[in-house]
Amino acid sequence: MTMAGQRRSRLRKVRLYGVLIALLGIMMFPFYAMLSSTFKPESEIFSSPATLFPTEPSIDAYLAVWSQTDVLLWIGNSFIISLGTVALTLLLAIPAAYSCARNEFVGKRTFLLSVLVVQMFAPVVLIVGLFDVITRFGIYNTYLAVIIPAAAFTLPFNVWMLYGYFQTIPVSLEESARIDGASQLQILTKVVLPLTKPALVASITYTFLYAWNRLLFVLTFLTDSEKYNVPRGVFSMVGALQTDWRMMLTVSVIGIIPLLILFAFLEEYIVAGMTAGAVKE
Amino acid sequence: MGTVEEYTEPSADSRLERSANHVWQNRQAYLLIAPAAIFLLSVVGWPIFETFRLSLYRSPADSALETYVGFQHYVEILNDDFFLQLLWQTGRWVVVGVAGKTLLGLLIAVHLKGDIRGRKFFRTAFLIPWGIPYAISAVVFRWIEHPQYGYLNAILIKLGVIDQGIGILGNPELAWLGVVVADIWIGTPFMAIIFLAGLQSIPQELYEAAAIDGAEKWHQFRYITIPQLKSVILIATLLSTIWTFVSFDTIWTMTGGGPINTSATLVIWIYQVGLKNGNLGEGAAYSVIGFLFLLVFAVVYLRIYTRGGEKL
Repeated sequence: MTMAGQRRSRLRKVRLYGVLIALLGIMMFPFYAMLSSTFKPESEIFSSPATLFPTEPSIDAYLAVWSQTDVLLWIGNSFIISLGTVALTLLLAIPAAYSCARNEFVGKRTFLLSVLVVQMFAPVVLIVGLFDVITRFGIYNTYLAVIIPAAAFTLPFNVWMLYGYFQTIPVSLEESARIDGASQLQILTKVVLPLTKPALVASITYTFLYAWNRLLFVLTFLTDSEKYNVPRGVFSMVGALQTDWRMMLTVSVIGIIPLLILFAFLEEYIVAGMTAGAVKE
Repeated sequence: MGTVEEYTEPSADSRLERSANHVWQNRQAYLLIAPAAIFLLSVVGWPIFETFRLSLYRSPADSALETYVGFQHYVEILNDDFFLQLLWQTGRWVVVGVAGKTLLGLLIAVHLKGDIRGRKFFRTAFLIPWGIPYAISAVVFRWIEHPQYGYLNAILIKLGVIDQGIGILGNPELAWLGVVVADIWIGTPFMAIIFLAGLQSIPQELYEAAAIDGAEKWHQFRYITIPQLKSVILIATLLSTIWTFVSFDTIWTMTGGGPINTSATLVIWIYQVGLKNGNLGEGAAYSVIGFLFLLVFAVVYLRIYTRGGEKL
């Protein structure tokens, strides 16, 4: 490479990283606004115009938040709702996806396409009818009122994700078990599932995030504040007559920490899940 | 007559027998999909049916007080000037939101594509806004846009653009823009990740050949990247259109559809009328109108998805 060419490629590198860092700055700014506000003492957070850096950083908000809000309760409820949704969705999706991957039967195409349509039926458009049905089930104001709809709307992703993955597992692996007279359900749990880890992790992460993040179902089907999850708890704090911004932002920071941990470890699976429906190899 | 019956009946019988045989032979397959199918029928199918049914009734939250009104809700909605305003507000919300997400996502993806040091770090960082609760993003943006204590006003004052804080979310002209910014921020990571995956599947040789021919960067983008990425862009913007159309948590947390309903979209109105005001019947009629929009999106999506007779 010539000297001029080298200089040009270095210049391009500098510009590339420059743009990347600028974009990252824009995308990270809300986090900065949130974090920096939580480290301001109470007097400073209500100064106008706002100070962009805390002049006297303090961790008072983090000490006070445990006693002044129900953040631990909300996080606990978020875990109950998310784990419940994951369990229910997998219980339904695994057998269905496996059945479609291994059998040819009348109605399979209809089933798979209807599942895809469900994914498009956003819950908010269905919320009036759902409200009616949830009350008829008699589960209004129980965790199930949130878990059941969340499972229904994560089921499509799970079915398609697992269906696609099961198809890549060679049938020959299952044949000896079949000759021994094992049923499909036995083959599924003993032979196939242990090989399905990547798809399972992607499915679980997607479902967990979905249930953790959504406000709609909790807002609509849970009135008991003892059962609020993190988004609902935060929402109740802005709904209050006088919003305690500092406490609310501190709760928000604490409420997303579990997610950041999830992201750090499972980023690849999350990306695999996100691209599954849109990018075909 | 008798002979015709004699002729048709065995045929119907044998058809029945054949399908019974098919079900029996595949009983394991049907048993395995049954729980999921029954579950979806009762948690999604039944509410769809209920929505249609309710839309024909005047029904307050107490369902014992239902009265059948036929298509009255639909007639009233279509004759209401506010419905047109609602469609316009929904349209601008979707168009501006999807355009913002697509452009910003493309910009990020193009810059992440090459041989970047720390790409995993960048990718994870760019992903985060998508993965945290919408309600939390919404309150953070409410805080940023706060008329007195917000960072946005502080920055604009520092830059000398304004000399007094403006209340964006309380302003009927500006509120929807204040919310759409948050929505773009939330939806951009998905687009960036999808586009990045799409870009990485473009054969590198195409660029090498173009470079040898002396094609400028911009021309490479215009004549290689965009055409190669076309189907990915199509699917991603379509999905994004659906999700922006049904976006609820963000608007509801930031403005609740206000001030004076100027930031309301169709789905916000479904919630406002049906659940907040407790008019299940009228809310259901708005839902059915929402179904129609989704149906159009779904048909387009399914056509793209199953294009070329791809085997399911």
